[in-house]
Amino acid sequence: MKARKREKRRTAKPVRETYFFRLFVAGNESNSSQARRNLARICEEHIKGHHKIDVVDVLKDVSNAHKNNVLVTPTLILIKPVPKVTVLGNLNDTKQVLAALRLNGDER
Amino acid sequence: MNNQKPPYHELETKMKEAEELIHALRTQQVDAIVGERHVMLVRLKQAEENLKSSRNQLRALASYLLSARENERAVIARELHDEFGQGLTSLQLGLSWISRKLTPGQKPLQEKIKSLSAATTNLMRSVKNIASELRPGVLDELGLVKTLKSEAREFEGHTGIHCRFKTNTAKAKFDRSAAVAIFRIVQAALTNVARHAQASRARIALMKRKNGLILTVADNGKGISRKLIHGHDSLGVTGMRERALALGGTFTLGALRSKGTILTVQIPLSRVITGVSR
Repeated sequence: MKARKREKRRTAKPVRETYFFRLFVAGNESNSSQARRNLARICEEHIKGHHKIDVVDVLKDVSNAHKNNVLVTPTLILIKPVPKVTVLGNLNDTKQVLAALRLNGDER
Repeated sequence: MNNQKPPYHELETKMKEAEELIHALRTQQVDAIVGERHVMLVRLKQAEENLKSSRNQLRALASYLLSARENERAVIARELHDEFGQGLTSLQLGLSWISRKLTPGQKPLQEKIKSLSAATTNLMRSVKNIASELRPGVLDELGLVKTLKSEAREFEGHTGIHCRFKTNTAKAKFDRSAAVAIFRIVQAALTNVARHAQASRARIALMKRKNGLILTVADNGKGISRKLIHGHDSLGVTGMRERALALGGTFTLGALRSKGTILTVQIPLSRVITGVSR
């Protein structure tokens, strides 16, 4: 029953609910900057106006990283909609990132 | 059954996360590692690029210095040959003219002229040797293979170390600067054999193979330590390595399993033999 519900949610038309991301970066380091840019672009292209990004600089706020079990930067966590997803790296591989964030259905 | 599901999924998720972490580290997409107390920045990508560019710069500089030195040597050799050679020849001619003018009664003077003439001849020989050491004229006249053959013969004559030269490139036409580089490597290697190896035999091989031109210089001496191979103070080795790398080749130096030392230089054929396409 649960599985069917999940299936329904996946195949359903894109619901315009707000996507809440938390992106952990290390200042303006190269990969962190790329991750910021890539996430902003992906959101702009796929869920424009339906997203919220909380950027956490681990150089300033390391406790937040600890709380979220972040080991490396850049780390992107999709907090909402559940289930929670964690993506590591500079988010350059758009296709993979979209698949991980369950946004690839919107591409079509 | 259901009770076993959550731990399994947890494990699967952890595995996926670990794989992702390894991938991110491997592809150098990680900027910082968040530790228990510290955030450690990892600037691998940038550091690697900086290192690469520094290496390239150094290599270019070394290559430039080597060619500048070779040019400078050629100039000095020419000057020596032209200026000193001609001057000494005129001196020799003058001395023999004076000698002819002397009467049999002027014996002490004749003896003096004779010794001066012998000294001049020695000086002329020295100048010729220095000039050919600076710029091996035979390399231009006879080509690389014959020059190496004569170098091996001379080495044997000077040191008493039996030296054999083998090649399958007798008909090949070598690029000029590559020929100079190979000759200098052989010269430096033989100098090392004479100075440090305590060997009784040496062999030089210049072989054309599918994977490039392979130069080996081996001896049956006491071998070489790792420290000497990688040490920065062994200028001779560094010079040989730089010459090989400047030609896009590789340089290895090591101890032979049996006894002695072997030096191997591998250079792409396109960089050494004219008429071979890249």
